[in-house]
Amino acid sequence: MRKLILVVLVTILSVELAPGQGLYSPGQPKDDGRFAASTKQVNQFFRRFNAEESVEGDKRYYEGDPLYRDRELRGKFISILFDNETSSVDSETKKQFLSEVLSENYPQFIHFHRENWFAEVSSVFTYKGKRENVTLFLKIQPEGLGYEWVIDKVVFKPFKDIFKKPEGDAKGFLHPLSHELGFMNLRKAFQDSDTPEAYTPKEYDPDYLTLFLYEMKKGSIKFETINDVKFHFFQINNWYFELNQFNRPGFNTGWLISNLVKLNPGDKESILRYIYDQK
Amino acid sequence: MKKIIQLFLFLFFTTTVVSLAQSDNISPARKQAIDSLALEKVKDLSKYISIIGSKETQFSEANRVMDRAEELFAPDAEMGVSSLSRREIAYYKVRRYFERLMALNYDRVNITWYDIHYISDLERQPDGRYVGVVTVYQRFEGTSLESGLNYRDTTKKDITIYVEKKQTQIAGRTIEFWDVMLGDIRVTETSA
Repeated sequence: MRKLILVVLVTILSVELAPGQGLYSPGQPKDDGRFAASTKQVNQFFRRFNAEESVEGDKRYYEGDPLYRDRELRGKFISILFDNETSSVDSETKKQFLSEVLSENYPQFIHFHRENWFAEVSSVFTYKGKRENVTLFLKIQPEGLGYEWVIDKVVFKPFKDIFKKPEGDAKGFLHPLSHELGFMNLRKAFQDSDTPEAYTPKEYDPDYLTLFLYEMKKGSIKFETINDVKFHFFQINNWYFELNQFNRPGFNTGWLISNLVKLNPGDKESILRYIYDQK
Repeated sequence: MKKIIQLFLFLFFTTTVVSLAQSDNISPARKQAIDSLALEKVKDLSKYISIIGSKETQFSEANRVMDRAEELFAPDAEMGVSSLSRREIAYYKVRRYFERLMALNYDRVNITWYDIHYISDLERQPDGRYVGVVTVYQRFEGTSLESGLNYRDTTKKDITIYVEKKQTQIAGRTIEFWDVMLGDIRVTETSA
């Protein structure tokens, strides 16, 4: 029996130490610090932003650990979480952001499970046999015993082109005494007009996601692939920032803040409108 | 005899987390134990990939290793591959990915792994299982003797891990343990 255990152990260890094979075996390439510096996962962005892990990223800090959310460590982390090569966030804005986030009395953190952050996914679908770009917006929500990402909105140009509510003289309407005629003039709205959306309320907003799902269920839309992913954050009071992945040589890589905006009243709504309606 | 070996191997890979698997919450200590187990699986996968890709591996041996490698994965796991020149994701079933790796047209292939990894937090899914992501970096070097061409790339591999509490009977006793399965893998070519 002892011999058997010895043989099994030796076998396992010999595979472990086979040169050039497993992780951490002799002859493996050494990271020159670039991969260590890179913000490799969105998870790491959260942990660095909040100072909830060690500088090397190999130790997670929890409440009670001396360096958990340490102000000085956070300052160092956040300053390396900006894209310094292609984005145009000026140093004064960064400084103001840092001072508010690191405030001694009211430090602010980002939270994975809370609202006010979401993903923007650039994807490709085929629609009626043609490749089309589709932008999906996903958010995280509690479900069952845990959490899930769900599709919250969709931007799809062919749908947008269909719904163009006319304005002014071009807009058809049902006159205010239509009810006296038993709405017989609805025939004009539905049969004689190619813009039936003209007969909807001011607040009418087409539900593109429902349409999208309907077309998918009918088999008219089919998923092809994903091109790009980015994230939008509104979790820091009066600030918006965008998180993008930078895959390039050097030390300033991975998930980094590419856009930072100080928000005045009404700005959040304008930015959201822009994000949801940009394409 | 076979049973003894199986029992020994089972205990070898699970003892680190068996004693910790007593509730559904994952404490920092348990997380660390699960991280170690997850890293073991990733190490296994990395070994298998190196063997499958190596031109010195016999066809039959590569197939056997592919079978072993597939056993590390949850059903329906896929590899999503993109390169610097092509950002959109190409999807492959795990087996197909291995087969493509084996069939690469080089005389010499050397696959090694950088001495760095990153393990995410574990998040609970709606079904109660936990999910995490392990990031590792792989260097691939392929040489074609006839043309004298060398191809080299470095890829980042973000590997999904599913963590689940399971039960087993050993000598009439019910033992709970945390098991780790690999899931989808995102493969991104890096500029390194």
